[in-house]
Amino acid sequence: MTIRSGIVKAFDAGSYTATVQLTGSLAVWLSNLPVARNIPSAEMVAGRRCAVIFFDASNPRDAVVAAVFT
Amino acid sequence: MRSLTSTLLAAQKSASGSPFVRVQVRERIGNIVRLRWERLYTGSEPDTYHALTVPGDASLVRARVASGTLYYQRVAGPGPGSDFSSWTSLGSVAQADVALASRGSTVLLFYVDTDGVTIRVRESQDYGATLGSPVTVATAAGAVGWLAAALKSDGTALLLYSVGGTVYAVKRSGGTWGDPAPWTNSAATIAGLACVYYGDFNVAAAGTNADGDAKLWTTIYGDGLNQPVGVWSSLKEVAAADVGSGVSFRAPFLDRPDTFRLFFVEEYTGTQAYSRPLWSYFPASQDFVAEAWREPVPFDLSSQYGMALAHDSTWAWLATPSGVWRASLSAPPLDLTADVLEVGAESESLRGRLKVVLRNDHGRFSDLGSSELTAIRYGSQVALSPGYATTAGQEVSAGPLYWLDGWTHHTGGASATFTLHASDAWSLVEGWRSRRQYTWAAGQQNIFQILRFIFGRAGLEFSSLGSSSALTGQQPSFTIHPGESGLTAVRRLLAMVPDVLRVAGEYVYIFEPLADQSADYAYGTDHAILRGRYGSPGLAVNRVQVFGQGLMVEDFRWDALADEYDRLRQAHDLNLTTVARAQERAAAEFRAVEIESYEGELLVPMNCGQELYDVVSVTDAGAGLSAVARRVLGMAMRYDRCGPRPAYEMALRLGAP
Repeated sequence: MTIRSGIVKAFDAGSYTATVQLTGSLAVWLSNLPVARNIPSAEMVAGRRCAVIFFDASNPRDAVVAAVFT
Repeated sequence: MRSLTSTLLAAQKSASGSPFVRVQVRERIGNIVRLRWERLYTGSEPDTYHALTVPGDASLVRARVASGTLYYQRVAGPGPGSDFSSWTSLGSVAQADVALASRGSTVLLFYVDTDGVTIRVRESQDYGATLGSPVTVATAAGAVGWLAAALKSDGTALLLYSVGGTVYAVKRSGGTWGDPAPWTNSAATIAGLACVYYGDFNVAAAGTNADGDAKLWTTIYGDGLNQPVGVWSSLKEVAAADVGSGVSFRAPFLDRPDTFRLFFVEEYTGTQAYSRPLWSYFPASQDFVAEAWREPVPFDLSSQYGMALAHDSTWAWLATPSGVWRASLSAPPLDLTADVLEVGAESESLRGRLKVVLRNDHGRFSDLGSSELTAIRYGSQVALSPGYATTAGQEVSAGPLYWLDGWTHHTGGASATFTLHASDAWSLVEGWRSRRQYTWAAGQQNIFQILRFIFGRAGLEFSSLGSSSALTGQQPSFTIHPGESGLTAVRRLLAMVPDVLRVAGEYVYIFEPLADQSADYAYGTDHAILRGRYGSPGLAVNRVQVFGQGLMVEDFRWDALADEYDRLRQAHDLNLTTVARAQERAAAEFRAVEIESYEGELLVPMNCGQELYDVVSVTDAGAGLSAVARRVLGMAMRYDRCGPRPAYEMALRLGAP
């Protein structure tokens, strides 16, 4: 399991997934990341920092945006 | 195992075999020539649309469009003393792209006329010395943006041009230009085109897709090699940037002086904005359709219109309107064989190191700035070829390649030595760091294809020698995080399959190490064993559980479990969506454990052809072994010509077959 930080770029309240720019990736962002349901959708504001847990470091579908902050 | 001549085989099995070790250094990385660009011209021409070609007489032909005027230049016998500042105005044109193509004495100059839609060509049959009258090639449906052209030896020419996000192809066959036809791919905008002929018309295109994401693609307009004649292949991504990231790509240039080489511009509009040329190349034996471009490398220049690339038989040439560079295409070997005192080479899974000690009592290596030693630079390629003096003369097996990490001088007493330190292809893989998020959706590419991409980014060839079904059958959801090394990604992919990787020079081979593989070589019969150690640590794991998407499978080795009770390994992978795939993973987990269930070491006289993961048979009566199959899991070569214990031997670490 790995934890990586990033910046919220977009959020889809319907699928409860986010597009996140992981730290270090200037040009390409990770889309369709599941977002923890305990995070209110109103808090998923583009530009906020976030923490992403990868249960399997290789598989972006086995991950969750676990925290959003700033 | 590398094949050896009968005389070399006989020599290495002979107790009196006389060692011969060849060591050479070259200006190559991944066996591709490392181009050392020398700038020949710095002018004040504005950065704008431009083109470059080198016809058959090795003259340099350039064109540029500035403030609606087309300028042309031909420099015969270009070199350091040439005048690259003199241009001839060819009159008013649209402020749009210009393209050049040449073959033999023929030169084609394409440009867009002042109306912005009429594309004309002027042809030369004397290496560009004189140009014929303009001929209309096509009239576009809208304003033409970018051009690219290529010429075959039979006179067939292809012109590509963009209107908005559509690329059109016009072919000249038998001296007659056909009708323009749009490509079958889709883009929202085009920001540059390049084309080079090599069996097909190989194309690079920059632009954006329907989502607004910036892309640099390659594609093929077929001529029968990898794509049917006149048929476009799908777009393959070389570089990408999300819309809103501020990153975009433009102005690609493509050529094949030795292998496919690509220049393009990456622009960034954020803080510390830049417009920077990047370059890349393609592993020489890969097809253009493979996604195997080396990670693009920045070039020390600021330009929005990129760097045009062309070549003759001796030089590669680069040009912008205000600059001309050249680089030698040859990389002659620097032979160090006569000075070799010691060689130590180690190879194991995903790692290989080399140390070469050279005599320096004659001072040959004291001045590394001397012209003789220009090849000794960081990253240069070191070829180690072990051999023997045989009845046919000095023979070697073209052995592994390494790349220089550094060197040390040692002095003391009356001796002086110079030591090279180098690492094999795995260091190139480890040295590649992902600079962005790379993501493959489930079903997009199989594990072999993702590995090929990673090895390509490191500038390495990749091929299969007989792989597992899992390698090509699994198409996992996979990502490489920014900052991660290629080696980390390779390890993660290897964990999904039973296959193993072996490097041989610039090639990475993958294959499944089958337990019933026959032996490649025998030790203890006519090839002596100097020393042996044979251990049996047993199975580290006898029960495997694999958890996939909503499923779990188990596998056991019951005999071992009865002895030591269960030793459990768990694997967790949501990419495993079927029981069959999960069972494959369990089998792969056990395969790796079983290979390590035997632990042995041999010290033998140097075997010049031995490779990692070869299966060898071992006969050693003292340990009760008679033609027992073992797999080579590690190798260490030691050659010492003048030390207190002269040696030419190889230590092998063995596992179960």
